[in-house]
Amino acid sequence: MMEKKLEVKNLVVSFRTQAGKVQAVRDISFNLYKGETLAIVGESGSGKSVTSKAVIGISAANAIIESGEILYDGQDLVRIPEEEMHKLRGDKIAMIFQDPLSALDPIMRIGRQITEAMLLKNKANRKEGRAAFNKMLAQLSEKMTAALTEKKTIGSVEDAEKATAYLEKVSEYIRTFDGFNIKAISLENGYNNAKNAAEELISIIDDFLFLAEKKQKVDGVITLKSIVRKLQAMQDKYFVGKYTDDLNAYLVRINEAISEEKAKTTLGDTIKGLVGRKKAVAEVSQTIIQLCGEIKNTVTEMLAQPAYNFFRIGYYVYKNPEADLSQMPADEANEMAYKFLMEDYMNDFMALEKDAVAYAAAQALDNKKAAVAALEEAVAFFKKGGFAASDAATACKNVSKAVLDAINPLDVVKDNVAYTFSGALDREVEKYFFYLKNNPKEEARFARQTAKREALLAKGKKVDWKVVPKFIVEPEKQIESIVSVLDRVITKFKADIENADSVDVDKRCVELIDYLKEKASQVVYKLTKRIAKEKAIKLMEEVGIPEPRIRYNQYPFEFSGGMRQRIVIAIALSANPDILICDEPTTALDVTIQAQILELINKLKKERDLSIIFITHDLGVVANMADRIAVMYAGKIVEYGTADDIFYDPRHPYTWALLSSMPDLDTNEKLDAIPGTPPNMIYPPVGDAFAERNKYAMQIDFEMQPPMFEVSPTHYAATWLLHPNAEKVEIPPIITERIKRMNERGGEK
Amino acid sequence: MMNNNEVLLKVDHLCQYFRMGHKDLKAVDDVSFEVKKGEVFGLVGESGCGKTTTGRSIIKLYDITSGNIYFKGQRVGAGTRSYKDAIKTAQKKAAADIKTLRRELKENPDKETEIKAKITQINDDLNKIVEENRALIRAANADNRNVDKMHADGLLQSLETEYKEKFAQAEGDEAATKALKKEYASRCRIAKKSKLITQIQMIFQDPIASLDPRMTVRDIIAEGLIINGIRDKEYINQKVYEILEVVGLVREHADRYPHEFSGGQRQRIGIARAIIMQPEMIIADEPISALDVSIQAQVINLLNDLRERLGLTILFIAHDLSVVKYFSDRIGVMYFGKMVELATSEELFKNPLHPYTKSLLSAIPLPDPHYEKQRKRITYNPIAEHDYSVNLPSLREVAPGHFVYCNDEEEEKYKQQLQ
Repeated sequence: MMEKKLEVKNLVVSFRTQAGKVQAVRDISFNLYKGETLAIVGESGSGKSVTSKAVIGISAANAIIESGEILYDGQDLVRIPEEEMHKLRGDKIAMIFQDPLSALDPIMRIGRQITEAMLLKNKANRKEGRAAFNKMLAQLSEKMTAALTEKKTIGSVEDAEKATAYLEKVSEYIRTFDGFNIKAISLENGYNNAKNAAEELISIIDDFLFLAEKKQKVDGVITLKSIVRKLQAMQDKYFVGKYTDDLNAYLVRINEAISEEKAKTTLGDTIKGLVGRKKAVAEVSQTIIQLCGEIKNTVTEMLAQPAYNFFRIGYYVYKNPEADLSQMPADEANEMAYKFLMEDYMNDFMALEKDAVAYAAAQALDNKKAAVAALEEAVAFFKKGGFAASDAATACKNVSKAVLDAINPLDVVKDNVAYTFSGALDREVEKYFFYLKNNPKEEARFARQTAKREALLAKGKKVDWKVVPKFIVEPEKQIESIVSVLDRVITKFKADIENADSVDVDKRCVELIDYLKEKASQVVYKLTKRIAKEKAIKLMEEVGIPEPRIRYNQYPFEFSGGMRQRIVIAIALSANPDILICDEPTTALDVTIQAQILELINKLKKERDLSIIFITHDLGVVANMADRIAVMYAGKIVEYGTADDIFYDPRHPYTWALLSSMPDLDTNEKLDAIPGTPPNMIYPPVGDAFAERNKYAMQIDFEMQPPMFEVSPTHYAATWLLHPNAEKVEIPPIITERIKRMNERGGEK
Repeated sequence: MMNNNEVLLKVDHLCQYFRMGHKDLKAVDDVSFEVKKGEVFGLVGESGCGKTTTGRSIIKLYDITSGNIYFKGQRVGAGTRSYKDAIKTAQKKAAADIKTLRRELKENPDKETEIKAKITQINDDLNKIVEENRALIRAANADNRNVDKMHADGLLQSLETEYKEKFAQAEGDEAATKALKKEYASRCRIAKKSKLITQIQMIFQDPIASLDPRMTVRDIIAEGLIINGIRDKEYINQKVYEILEVVGLVREHADRYPHEFSGGQRQRIGIARAIIMQPEMIIADEPISALDVSIQAQVINLLNDLRERLGLTILFIAHDLSVVKYFSDRIGVMYFGKMVELATSEELFKNPLHPYTKSLLSAIPLPDPHYEKQRKRITYNPIAEHDYSVNLPSLREVAPGHFVYCNDEEEEKYKQQLQ
């Protein structure tokens, strides 16, 4: 079985409008697996876009998510607070919108639009990295002390002596860890800055060579001067290493080239340049181009060198401030520093850490057991109903505290369920009291307005307004969602308790140190605008935009529709998301461009192993894209299956209608248009929503909603026609013939 | 209706240029085709290839740059750029010729009479060409100006003969004569206002943008009638109700505003507005692109019905090839302002010849997963495909009724392919 990426369970979304509550999505469930494309197909107003917007958390202001869950990475996207959602949106789950023009800012250059998010995110990450590092180290220190104290009091005599000896040293160990990390960071920062300068240098040379090749206006001297600046910025001893002499030689050569070039420019050229009318553009001399080529090669070589492991070297330098490892090859230096680090410090530190981790895990396990008890108590309390506000608040507080305590602070992988629990619970409880207070008001208003309207009607007056239907959520229903929040944590904790024995302490220790290392280096990973530009240009190449270096500086209006859509895709991909939601990405484009964009999305999906939710009303588009298809009508999924199931063996009358209302290249007979319009979702039909427009509708379709019948393990359809007692009906001939033709055309199943 | 060979609309070397700075944007460049009575002629191509501009030029929403448009044998639109260009090139050529002759004269003064005779000859020729083309320009301008008047005159004449008889019959009966006079006067008024071009009506792409939000459906549909001089409110209402029923709406809809309707219904209103003028021809400019799948089928079926019931001729502009294939008798493929291929729809889909047509056909998505996964899209690169440096291309008939834009070499190749 493939890994589930996203799970939507019983989602119900409504809109509050003046005319009443529009039930846009009514109880839908689906799964999205890793690396697959799920297509959601339906008419406009069937709720497909509403579903996708709920997933990415940008529902309209008047939307109410009444119940259901959207699970991603253990968190329920419906219930997590906005701050948590903010971390996922765009970063993990990205979206491509229908109209590329309105998704782009018209007065911002394309390049800036692509790099904007990268730069902002980099800034935020650096801040966050420092805080996370400090917090984790403090926790570790605390747990170490606690573990040693425990050992001292209850351990054997020998252990206790050892523990006492260590206990005095804990703070020193932690201080050393912090200290050599700071050293490592400062070394790495210098290295990174130099590396950035090198990358920027390559980018400058690329730009220059590109323009020179195109015979564009370009000033060799200015370029050379900026190259000099970058070469000077590259002077970090760890980065330059054995290339020091090469770089100095280049600097000399560049200076010569500059003076040579300056000698060439006459006074007249300079004046012209100053006046600004005609800029003096002499042919870029071949020597400069050659020089640039050489510099580029050398710098590329430098960039390809094996990197130093600054975590190890940092410790070495911390202990021996006089030492200089930069002349040693990276591998050797790493090896040597590693040995020194392990012998001198790490082995002891690891032992301490192991104790701490084991201690913390045991403590968390106990707390979890207590939390489960507290949670179960809370479930009983809420299920009983009729609780007072203050009691509920106390219960919430207690249970939240229990759950928060149960979180192991030394866990590297965040337990999202527990972290988001408190906020979710509070919100649900708040809602309960809101409904409790609001329901009678709503009833009263409804009764009052109905009475008024009837009175007016009785007088024989013409009434042109309608009574807004009442918006009531039963308290019992709300209690159910409170309990579901609690239940999820209980299941999670119970699973944790069961798996407690299989926890590998050594692995955890390594993970913890890796985590600290990662956070420390996050602080020094600096993304400059130049590097962001290079990244953006790579992305633009990836999505198939020709001449990205020119395109980078253009505005959206200078792009054609297909190119604009490519830019939108590039922006969506810039954060490397897991899930991509495509909301009718090709509806505004014509056939050839549509084919190109679909191919692009398919290519990217394979390359990046994306999971895609593809929303469209055109079944033809989907055939090439989708692994599985969900057909939606009036807020419900009416048929759900693999692409082969839907196209070669459709079962629901609505799918038939969709298929037969579109002509293909061999259709000659009259099209079966779907008569009528979709139902008004303020008053959704009692039975099957499609019954009114369905010529195969039976009496029961108007009375009861059909359940999902299983056709095959991958194929489900919600129609009474699949009930064993139903009459057998013929699929419309237009479809059977088409399927026959398709089979003949050579698709073997 | 298919075997009817009467040509209803003839587009002859139509060019439509737009000014862009000092350059011309050639939106439509030398496009020629004929639409026969009762057929559906499809025009396809990617966005920006000039199909909508062609449609709009035909109903004279733009002043065409050059070329002619004939409707029912009458020239309704004519451009003058080609004649002006002809004059300019002739003048340039003559000037150059005279210059070389004068130089010759300087070198050999003895041949004076001979060369002077040549110069006068050239000047005469030039004058002749200029005169001819000026006459053509005058004729074109006159046609542009007078086409409606001529149409109205024709109508008035036929009315006169019709009523002469009636008056003769009713002679003596004073009341009847009076009634007849009144009727005659009102019909004359309407005839005077009628234009030939109103017999071509257009359905626009976006049903939201093309309907005035502040007019009721009745006003929208009846506007054309009122402009044409009909004042009888009863008659107008009657007509509006009839048309509403024809397009599958009901009477009650007449008093509503466009925003109260769904997309499909709005497009029906657009169709009703077009067919109330009893046109002979409809230009449908992507009437279904903005609609939902299920509604698309409704509108296509409606257009098909109307075509059978009213004997309409339709110029169908779209980019969805499977719909065009389903709906049209003949199809013209456009690429960057040029017609690159024109054939009956079966022929076009069976034997596409021009590489652009092939690439267009290969891009159609079909509701068939296995086929789709094997589908290879053909890309079209005009620079790589054609070599027009020596031999210039034009629209040529490579098989009966099958035209392709090609040069001699390619024509041979295509003919071989067909056999």
